[in-house]
Amino acid sequence: MIFVGVVLALAIVVPFIVPTPILTYLIPALLWAIGCMTWNAIARVGQFSMGQAAFYAIGGYASAMLTAPASFAYGGTVTLIFQWPVFVGVLCGGIAAAIVALIVGTITLRIGGLFFCIITLAFGELLRIVALNQPPIFGGGNGITVNAPAIGNWVLSGKIPFYFVALGAVILTAVVISRIDKSRLGRTFRAIAANQALAAHAGIQLMKYRVIIFTVGGFFCGMAGALFTHYLRVITPTVFGFTESILILLMCAVGGYYSAVAGPILGALVLSPVGDYLTSVLQGGKPFVFGIVVLLVAFYLVNGLVDIPTLVRRAIVKRRKSTVTA
Amino acid sequence: MVALAILEVRNVSRHFGNLAALDGIDLSVDKGEIIGIAGPNGSGKSTLFNVITGIFPPTKGEVFYKGQKIDRLRPDQRAAKGLVRTFQANVLFRDGTVLDNILRASHLQFKANSWQVFFNTPANRREEREVLGKAKEILDFWGFSTVENVMASELPHGDQRRLGLAVAMAINPELLLVDEPVGGMSGGERASVVEHIARLHNEGVTILLVEHHVQTLLALCERLIVLNFGRKIADGVPRQVAADPAVIEAYLGSEEVA
Repeated sequence: MIFVGVVLALAIVVPFIVPTPILTYLIPALLWAIGCMTWNAIARVGQFSMGQAAFYAIGGYASAMLTAPASFAYGGTVTLIFQWPVFVGVLCGGIAAAIVALIVGTITLRIGGLFFCIITLAFGELLRIVALNQPPIFGGGNGITVNAPAIGNWVLSGKIPFYFVALGAVILTAVVISRIDKSRLGRTFRAIAANQALAAHAGIQLMKYRVIIFTVGGFFCGMAGALFTHYLRVITPTVFGFTESILILLMCAVGGYYSAVAGPILGALVLSPVGDYLTSVLQGGKPFVFGIVVLLVAFYLVNGLVDIPTLVRRAIVKRRKSTVTA
Repeated sequence: MVALAILEVRNVSRHFGNLAALDGIDLSVDKGEIIGIAGPNGSGKSTLFNVITGIFPPTKGEVFYKGQKIDRLRPDQRAAKGLVRTFQANVLFRDGTVLDNILRASHLQFKANSWQVFFNTPANRREEREVLGKAKEILDFWGFSTVENVMASELPHGDQRRLGLAVAMAINPELLLVDEPVGGMSGGERASVVEHIARLHNEGVTILLVEHHVQTLLALCERLIVLNFGRKIADGVPRQVAADPAVIEAYLGSEEVA
């Protein structure tokens, strides 16, 4: 509890003490942290989604289409103009992604496993191709440009207000995911992950619970994708692709699979800024560096960065013991 | 009036390629019975359990539970009707404590929906307390109260097998299929398991028991069925079945071969 308080206080203070360019790295990290928490929650039911970024895209496009300003028309290619407020668009982005997750989940999670992996991967690619080839609806390769979020007349165009919007979304996701984890739902998910056959024979409807967590994951990814879109002020078919889905997976691996909230957030906070920095300094070097980071974690920190305090404590105890015996 | 059979297996066959693991099995279990199923390795005992509990469907034939055809239902749907099994291997939730195992297996005791669970409504909290109480009773019944916080994977083999039975009990069975409950156990542990299964039976649970240990079968069962090469070769009072020449031959081989 104290730890959570300290982290929250720090998170609130950070934007006022660090230089603004740092926030350019932190805001995307926060928005990826949301996807990481959902990916991890789904993985903890034993299913590996290879297309979480696709739900970012769905949320992003839904919100962009609903909120795009009347001035936006790209020579008349985008024909649907609603001009809804941005936060309504973000909520609708989440809902749209949740509905799609419910449908995709119902079809694929009956079998699950590798089949689910491959279908989610293909699904992401499918979306990209559809977005690219339907300019009248999705704006084609140029995508859709959107407004910054606003509350009434107050436009949150600066980095600091947007940081707090992203932080709020992370907190909301973290609260929901940890509440699920601590409730009987979490117990049911752990039963499925630990032993699918025994869980089924104990009357647990595997498919129902897999679809529930996949849909919840879809909602939060959609919401994060919509916020990301309003942060970048544009969405194109390439923003949330296969690379980004893999990035989410890597962040979870680096942060630590075995914790519901802390691991994924930590992984995103470390890997996202590193990735963005690498992209700006050495093009094409990012996958190479990420590969090394993941290998190092796999060899020396199987349980991810969240495990460091435990390892340090263990090392200290060991050292004390050895000095006592010496 | 004829008592309704709780389980009826009608002319069930299960083929794996050219192999007939089960070949035209007929079996009827009345409510309250305790029946042993014996047979040499590979005779089809576990396949029969797998067909009855829904791991795979029969290739031919039908399975009825309380008069309802169930052979296309999923395992969880069968469990919800009170058809519960244990496994030959130590199948447990290995990442959880002894108490966790019982609570996870108590899934069907909960009536609150996912929203009530998420918001932890008073009804959900009450239910959690009730189920925890029942779980503790089950732990008490099997003598696990002192080790409830021990990881399931850290229990000795005999205790893991007994925990498997405790987990099955938490699912609230009406018909319990027990697969080799005393495999690899010492004499004392066997006696304890026999006693507990007898107590479950006395509480009204119908039991179907696959076991190699003949003394256990004779001690517990009112009726004994013997399978060989996927066929039923004997069905009757245990002492008579044990003396049946066909059964002796199935276990020891015929004189010509010997």
